[in-house]
Amino acid sequence: MEPILEIRDLKMHFPVKGGVFLRPVGSAKAVDGVSLKVYPGETLGLVGESGCGKSTLAKATCRLLDPTAGQVIFDGHDITKMGRRELMPLRREMQMIFQDPAESLNPRHSVGQIVSEPFVIQKIGTRAERDKKVAELLERVGLNEKMSTRFPFEFSGGQRQRIGIARALALNPKLILCDEPVSALDVSVQSQVLNLMMDLQRDMGLAYLFIAHDLAVVRHVSDRVAIMYLGKIMELADADAIYHHPHHAYTKALIAAIPVADPDSKRDRSLLEGDVPSPIDPPKGCAFGYRMKHPKWEQSVGMDLSLVEVEPGHWVQPCPCCTG
Amino acid sequence: MAKDTTEPLLVVRDLKAGFETDAGLLVAVDDVDFSIERGKTLGIVGESGCGKSVSALSLIRLLPQPMGKVLGGEILFDGKDLRNIDDEGMHGVRGGEIGMIFQEPMTALNPVHTIGRQLMEAVLIHQKVSKQEALRQSVEMLDRVKIPAAEIRVGEYPHQLSGGMRQRVMIAMALINKPKLLIADEPTTALDVTVQAQILALIDELQAEMEMAVILITHDLAVIAENTDEVAVMYAGRIVERAAVGELFKNPLHPYTQGLLDSIPRMDSKRKQHLKTIEGMVPALAEMPTGCRFAPRCSNPHGDEVLEERPKMVEAEPGHWVEGCACFWGRELKNKSLNYG
Repeated sequence: MEPILEIRDLKMHFPVKGGVFLRPVGSAKAVDGVSLKVYPGETLGLVGESGCGKSTLAKATCRLLDPTAGQVIFDGHDITKMGRRELMPLRREMQMIFQDPAESLNPRHSVGQIVSEPFVIQKIGTRAERDKKVAELLERVGLNEKMSTRFPFEFSGGQRQRIGIARALALNPKLILCDEPVSALDVSVQSQVLNLMMDLQRDMGLAYLFIAHDLAVVRHVSDRVAIMYLGKIMELADADAIYHHPHHAYTKALIAAIPVADPDSKRDRSLLEGDVPSPIDPPKGCAFGYRMKHPKWEQSVGMDLSLVEVEPGHWVQPCPCCTG
Repeated sequence: MAKDTTEPLLVVRDLKAGFETDAGLLVAVDDVDFSIERGKTLGIVGESGCGKSVSALSLIRLLPQPMGKVLGGEILFDGKDLRNIDDEGMHGVRGGEIGMIFQEPMTALNPVHTIGRQLMEAVLIHQKVSKQEALRQSVEMLDRVKIPAAEIRVGEYPHQLSGGMRQRVMIAMALINKPKLLIADEPTTALDVTVQAQILALIDELQAEMEMAVILITHDLAVIAENTDEVAVMYAGRIVERAAVGELFKNPLHPYTQGLLDSIPRMDSKRKQHLKTIEGMVPALAEMPTGCRFAPRCSNPHGDEVLEERPKMVEAEPGHWVEGCACFWGRELKNKSLNYG
């Protein structure tokens, strides 16, 4: 099967300016050579600590940012260098859902205006057709068509996220990039929204790139999971495999840090020292081995650290410090 | 000063607190009882708006002013009646015998003062010591919360520190006067899991060293499971269930607690299956039922009468208290002829 989305060696670097004249003094390598594939109808989970570049990766993928290097191939088209006009029809098929629905919905627009905006931008349908479609979409995400005249502030967090989902669904996309879609929601509402997203995937054959920091949530909704650290993918595998048989030391550390809702659990609570390092001038070689001050870290400098397949479908960065 | 060390450190009875607004009085915490033993950790868990922060802030008179008001109840802390001491006395308690840490350390720290100055201020308010001594204590405390190169860090400003480091500074500030009680309001919600694990381990370590009690307020049941001795589950301004942590997770009785526990994805759950949900949402403060507040979302069979009469807390198992609602489930409970509090 052809992937719906293929990201090849994507890089997104931001210049860092300093000094009196704001000359470029370095670059923040937010995304530094990431390759991923998302297949139709699947959910690829993307996990990492804040600042690891996961949101930047999503933005570069849908061209909200222009990548520094690499390719994004969506549905067979290389969209990396496409102009606005060429990109327009493809934008229908790739949509985004954001973390904070309060910020991603225009407070001065009614729900009807928000959900019908994609049709307006793409010049689809008459007013009446759009209204009918909006009613259907609101119904689909568990809201009521009567709500279309109301404004975002009148809704709870969970309902606002449903509005965001309705807007993303408006143009029948094939892929939705979801950036922390449930992390601002309370647990009882979070499960409602996750159920909705899983239902929509099953009914419409959607593919998701699901970005989150909550590993239990990501495991639950994903088919495959990629672990990102400081702009690079450390490990990529089937969702169960990555949790039960992690190979990379960073994956293990991340899993060890998740608290478990069971007072009797005897999990390994070994702590990961230090903070996530800055992506400005990241260390050479394996960035995680460097953070851990691993004795074998130096061996990873200058090595080819592209992912290798250790088991069918299970890819790991082959550094002597973390996977040795 | 009657300080019987077998008595609980803090006893809260019938605490009622709320906000005077243009729309009238909104009661955010409605007759809540809890207590905490010396050196132990009480977890208060609930979703946003359930009143968990308002309960804690009421204890130390930190409700947002001028709207926030404590409307009734008793707060007995270490032999003192905190509702009846004057503001001067409260100044001595707050930051002295009771320390606090909040969710977002960046808003709790003053951005234009060095962290050293802010720590020293906390010492100088509560102890009669020289500035040199205050500085010495500040550096020592930063060292204890494992901030590397503490002597240098005291001269830095909050923006120069990472989120995890700022939370460590907050902890240092809260603990510098060796409080008997630490109130930690969502201390790790803004942090990454790896940093969260570090901060929780640090609080745990310092708690044992300093023999202090902790009130840990969070929405995260997993954090509760791993870091508390006793748990109070709050819903819509009331405590609906209260038990030792092991008992609560093994034998949750209130339908809300059960719903919460069922709706979180687990590491061993079957993937891509529907999660259990609690239908609907929390009623607005102005529209609360007088009876069981969870009834409108409850899937247990019940009649309208449950909306009228406020359920009493019953002791279902020794030390395990739960609201005994008049619904089907509640009647089952009552049939067991339980102890009413």
